[in-house]
Amino acid sequence: MSRATYMLKRLVLSIPVIIFGTTVTFAIIRLGPLSPAAAILGPQGDARAIRQIEQRLGLNEPLWEQYFEFMGDLFLFDLGQSWVVNSGTPAIDLIISYAPRTIWLGFWAVLIALGIGIPLGFYAGLNPNTFSDYFASFGGIVWRAMPNFWLAVILVTVLSQTEQLFGFSWTSFIVETNVVTSPNLAVLKNPTRLITDPGQAWTNLAKATKQILPPALVLGSASMGTEMRIGRTAVLETINSKYVETAKAKGVSPRVLVWKHIFRNALIPLVPVITAEAFILIGGSVLVETVFSINGIGLLFFRAAEQGDLPLVGTLMYLFILLIVGLNIVQDFAYTIIDPRVGYDA
Amino acid sequence: MMETELTEDIDQPLRDRLKAHPGPALLWGAGLCLLLLLEGPTYLDGLLGAIGFGLGLLPGAPGAEAFASASAFFSELPHLLSRELIPNRGYYDGSAWQGTFLGLEPKYAWLIRFLLVYVYVAVLLGWLWYGYVTFRRHYRAADWTPTDDVIDRLRSHYWGLFGLAVVVFFITMAAFAPVVGPTTAEENIEGPYSHDMQYYDADTETVETITIGEANLGSASRGSGDSNVGIWSYDDFGRFHPVGTLVSGKDLFTFLAFGARVSLFIGLGSMAIAGFIATTLALVTAYYKGVTDLIVVLTSDSVQAMPALLLVILATVVFKNHWIAELYNGAMLFILLFALIRWPGLWRAVRGPALQVGEQEWVDAAKSYGQRPTVIMRKHMAPYILGYLLVYASLTLGGVIISVSALSFLGLGITAPTPEWGRAINIGQSYIASQSWHISLIPGILITLVVTGFNALSDGIRDAIDPQSEGAEGGATGAAAGGGGG
Repeated sequence: MSRATYMLKRLVLSIPVIIFGTTVTFAIIRLGPLSPAAAILGPQGDARAIRQIEQRLGLNEPLWEQYFEFMGDLFLFDLGQSWVVNSGTPAIDLIISYAPRTIWLGFWAVLIALGIGIPLGFYAGLNPNTFSDYFASFGGIVWRAMPNFWLAVILVTVLSQTEQLFGFSWTSFIVETNVVTSPNLAVLKNPTRLITDPGQAWTNLAKATKQILPPALVLGSASMGTEMRIGRTAVLETINSKYVETAKAKGVSPRVLVWKHIFRNALIPLVPVITAEAFILIGGSVLVETVFSINGIGLLFFRAAEQGDLPLVGTLMYLFILLIVGLNIVQDFAYTIIDPRVGYDA
Repeated sequence: MMETELTEDIDQPLRDRLKAHPGPALLWGAGLCLLLLLEGPTYLDGLLGAIGFGLGLLPGAPGAEAFASASAFFSELPHLLSRELIPNRGYYDGSAWQGTFLGLEPKYAWLIRFLLVYVYVAVLLGWLWYGYVTFRRHYRAADWTPTDDVIDRLRSHYWGLFGLAVVVFFITMAAFAPVVGPTTAEENIEGPYSHDMQYYDADTETVETITIGEANLGSASRGSGDSNVGIWSYDDFGRFHPVGTLVSGKDLFTFLAFGARVSLFIGLGSMAIAGFIATTLALVTAYYKGVTDLIVVLTSDSVQAMPALLLVILATVVFKNHWIAELYNGAMLFILLFALIRWPGLWRAVRGPALQVGEQEWVDAAKSYGQRPTVIMRKHMAPYILGYLLVYASLTLGGVIISVSALSFLGLGITAPTPEWGRAINIGQSYIASQSWHISLIPGILITLVVTGFNALSDGIRDAIDPQSEGAEGGATGAAAGGGGG
């Protein structure tokens, strides 16, 4: 099977996956014990208002008609509107205004995890069974087992009290920022300002980056530990393989050996970890954004669920499913390029 | 299971071998009876209580009353590990402690009871191990079975043993929650205003009676000033708090012990259901392959493509006022949700081994002489994949514990007054930098420890059943960590 057919098959197989996920979401929202109309109005809602909302949401139509309408709307990206969180605003507008902060957070979380986890893991793998290896390995294991909301809570406290604890102030370190707040990303929407108004724009960018680093560190923590462990195993395995021995025997210098022969091959098993990270980020963003009060998609989902804005919750769920399926396809595609041995019939 | 299979093949059944040489078995049996009798009432109380609870869920609750009253009867009987035998609550009347075990300080009385619980569990487990050794030495027909090697490898796997120790510590804490805590959940957490306690008032030099709720107001940990009862300290009413008190003045250790119960109940319950689904599907797909396999692959892909934590949040909100969320303050709902969400991960993990074993000659042989498919799957395939299932169930269990605490941190799921570790972290959030740091930090450290323990145990079992697997850990570990990331 050629790469194109493989990818095509992969795309076709992802359609039932999306339909399944969306159907489950529909089932929970429409067939669950909580009626969307009652959820929107809360316990005080009177019968007439409930009936009006039912009318507008189409809740009194036959169930199968509701189902097809729900699915049809989502597939055509007619995403509906928010009813409680930001009543009357189209869902798409909400998402556009909330998403950049989550993307910014996710970007840094992946970057930090990669930047710390992989080098540490490779270092441990290149120096196996030394003190630093044990230290790094043990650290990775414990780091991975820590609940990230707990880590977030502690980090918030420590960073807000650096003055008393360490005698230096994190809030006024380099640029003045608060610990618990949303980063202001206006500068990224208008990147030309980095040239036209460098003083202000670069300060804003530095602020946004500094604010996002602690939550990104927390969000990336679990994957950081995993990347470290897998990086270590991958290096150990590659070092002991025959072709490395051959290269050593024919006199390849240690530096070339590490960078050319070991490093590149050890990266292969890390690909699924990096994409698996995306799933952690989606779930974890709810917790981390709540603790750091970052106005992102995760917090939006949590508020929508908490306040009974079920139509918005359904829309967000659909988008998350699309995102995960998309990432899976990207991962498989990356695999076919990095490692041609990967079987297409999997 | 290996032993029983092999012994069945030997012409002399186990019963005859026992009859021929009963000495060691009788000795071991007597020891076991003694150990069980010491704590007999607790086991009967727990068993009957659980049956009564189960019956209470059925429409009309047939016989639930009878079981509840029988359970209450047994809970009154004296036994070794009880608060009545080693009381740690009392008051200091100026010269000596009244009402505590042997007149000791409450601190030491509690410590003795706490340690006794762990000594008892250690002895019980040691005795069970001795039983296995006795069986191996005197009654097993085969000199050697592959299980021996697995066990030997696990015994020399110190990381796995560390995990096992942590898991046993955690399970004991959960199982003996009413005994290990310095006070009980009923008195201290659920109904503090309907229980009284006595304390000695130094000013008036009299013994006063006060409701526990009022006393709790005086033992609150609120960070600033005098209102803090930290770890390993007494409050103003002579009550000892091993790891301090909560903001409400309730005892944190008791809270943690009962919180362990909820976490363990959800973890084990969901893994049992998910494991059952995963094993059944793995066996069926490995046996029939083809379309069955494709359907399960698609279903599991679909379930895995849904953001797990968000799905649970949505379901918790939707089912908030439903009767299913009332069972054990929401724990039952969580068991079902996590079982439905986590089975694909387990299934993926055992699918490979199941396909492997499906190719074996003995399966072909069984097929060719006409054994029924269900019997082949159960007898000739299942034993091989159960070890792998254990590895991944242990990993996933850690993830479930983190997810449950994350949800109660957000204020969803397990509702008060049932304790849950995540809620303690939430309550103590604003006091971390103050002297009341214990409220948030200790539950968090405990979660980290327990999850590390389950991960280590899983590593140990994996290396024991499959010593060559070292390199293959990558994908699966990553996936499990992904699940636990919530």
